[in-house]
Amino acid sequence: MAEVAYVNASRVFPGTPPVRAVDNLELSVADGEFLVLVGPSGSGKSTALRMLAGLEDVDEGAITIGGKDVTNTPPKGRDIAMVFQSYALYPHMTVAENMGFALKLRGVPKAQIREKVAEAARMLDLTKYLDRKPKALSGGQRQRVAMGRAIVREPSVFLMDEPLSNLDAKLRVETRANIAALQQRLGTTTIYVTHDQVEAMTMGHRVAVLKDGVLQQCASPRELYDRPANAFVASFIGSPAMNLKTVPLTAEGARLDGLVVPLSRAALDGAAAEGLSEVTFGVRPESLRLASADEDGMEMTVELVEELGADAYVYGSVRIGEHPERFIVRVDGRTPPAFGQQVKVTLRDADEVHLFHPETGLRLSA
Amino acid sequence: MVARSMRAEHGPLRRVGTTCVWSLVAFNLGVLAWMLLTALREHTAIFRSPWGLDTAGQFGNFLKAWNDSDFGRAALNTVLVVVGASVTVVAVSAPAAYALARTRTRASGALSTLFAVGVGVPVQVIVVPLFVMMQDAGLVNSLTGLFVLYVALSAPFTVFLLTGFFGSLPEEVEEAAAIDGAGVVGTFVRIALPLARGGLLTALLLNLVGLWNETLLALVLVQDGEKQTLPLALLGFLQTQQYSGADYGVLFAGVAILVLPVLALYLWLGRRIIEGMTVGAVK
Repeated sequence: MAEVAYVNASRVFPGTPPVRAVDNLELSVADGEFLVLVGPSGSGKSTALRMLAGLEDVDEGAITIGGKDVTNTPPKGRDIAMVFQSYALYPHMTVAENMGFALKLRGVPKAQIREKVAEAARMLDLTKYLDRKPKALSGGQRQRVAMGRAIVREPSVFLMDEPLSNLDAKLRVETRANIAALQQRLGTTTIYVTHDQVEAMTMGHRVAVLKDGVLQQCASPRELYDRPANAFVASFIGSPAMNLKTVPLTAEGARLDGLVVPLSRAALDGAAAEGLSEVTFGVRPESLRLASADEDGMEMTVELVEELGADAYVYGSVRIGEHPERFIVRVDGRTPPAFGQQVKVTLRDADEVHLFHPETGLRLSA
Repeated sequence: MVARSMRAEHGPLRRVGTTCVWSLVAFNLGVLAWMLLTALREHTAIFRSPWGLDTAGQFGNFLKAWNDSDFGRAALNTVLVVVGASVTVVAVSAPAAYALARTRTRASGALSTLFAVGVGVPVQVIVVPLFVMMQDAGLVNSLTGLFVLYVALSAPFTVFLLTGFFGSLPEEVEEAAAIDGAGVVGTFVRIALPLARGGLLTALLLNLVGLWNETLLALVLVQDGEKQTLPLALLGFLQTQQYSGADYGVLFAGVAILVLPVLALYLWLGRRIIEGMTVGAVK
């Protein structure tokens, strides 16, 4: 068990200009915490994980595990275990040998290795497959062997690099829950990389969002969802994505077609202090609802309805100023509007809006 | 992709290619069969009708060839030198190739190129300086000298072949081993070597076949009859036949003695060679 810290850590790949794959990462992970690194491809999340594993150099700054500086320690001296996206099982070894390899290298007596491997195999439902080679296993079983190999080590930190991305959708959901439960039970500090924001939200105690090598925000899933620090986080977290539009400001609030959204005094003052006449206005699909005929609302033409059973997502265009802008609204799955229909859309709650600086993207509302 | 391969399967080019390949195979098989049959026939009968099948069944030709030209001794020498050199060259080249495949520095790139250049140097060009060098080292007319030369001259090709092989192994597996606590040597021995088994076997076989047939260096370097290798024994046999009246049946038996072990090796492990040479190329 150990806490992990990135101290202004950077990874710079040579080139013209040099690529800062991870840029001044400042992040600490508490002992026993499950931290998810999330971001689009090329955001540096895997590089950050590999830096922690010792598979990638740290060009600037430092990394500590359990308070010990491991910046220049080779992987084997870091007391970590890693689950790779490809699982990276040893193809020439049986499942049992794969799982016991690290202990064998450490010189643990054979009987003890057998015992630990058997215990991990029981935990992961792999007992039947201990004598098989990886190629004789299904994708899900291979994934569990990779987990087992990490568990048997009893490391102080687990590192997982998109371990579920090679599984089919159903198995992925199932395994997601299993990994989260296992982590809870073992209480081992875990850093988990994914590009899937649903995985990030459901598994992590905290989620760190990266973009272009720069940490955007690190917070609990709830906080990330309710108070995104900038427009990127707002658009990345949540599915379907938040509606983000640049709208003009008036004295009362933000003006959308046929609807003026009242804004808090703090938000208006903040915008005024920056001298802004426009703001990036964000509202999640579920914070919008269809309005009745006598309510104020934006006029929207329905262009697409995605029915998901319980809910339906209505895609439509709303005029803002001169241009039509696409909005997504979540509605009750039992009574969705029809294609081409004109509907009125309003806010579920005036507090559920997010304001961002139109240029920097930083959050404005308090 | 599917459409392309379908077209290729039925296209006219494909048919021409198939015909060429089978003609070549048939020709080679014909030559082989003729050699084997002739080796079992009487000298005069061979000259009377070179393609005939009469008087076949003369296994005495093989015995005569074996006894007359000291093939037994030569076979032992060849096995010792060739097997020893092949195993040694693979053992030496594998770590070098692994290091070249896994380090990305300017030096490793230059070294890889150097080995690639080595593959292109014909032995005929350097045979004289080699002889002088070996003489200075006191290794002329000795099997040890031949062994040393075989190892040295086979190394470039073997390193070149194995570098490609190690390069095609998935790096993540080695990273997993590094995290599991294996050092560089441990990763090489426990992970890379077992995974590269196919490539190592291919390198071993290609060296065995190549060195088994090697004549020029042996001819230049070895003078004593008791130190000669099989190709030399065959040459010597040809010469004695020329003086004492040729017996082509016996001569063909001698050729067969040289060729058959290699043929057996191919029949046994040929599939592995093909697999080894194409691994990583497709997929």
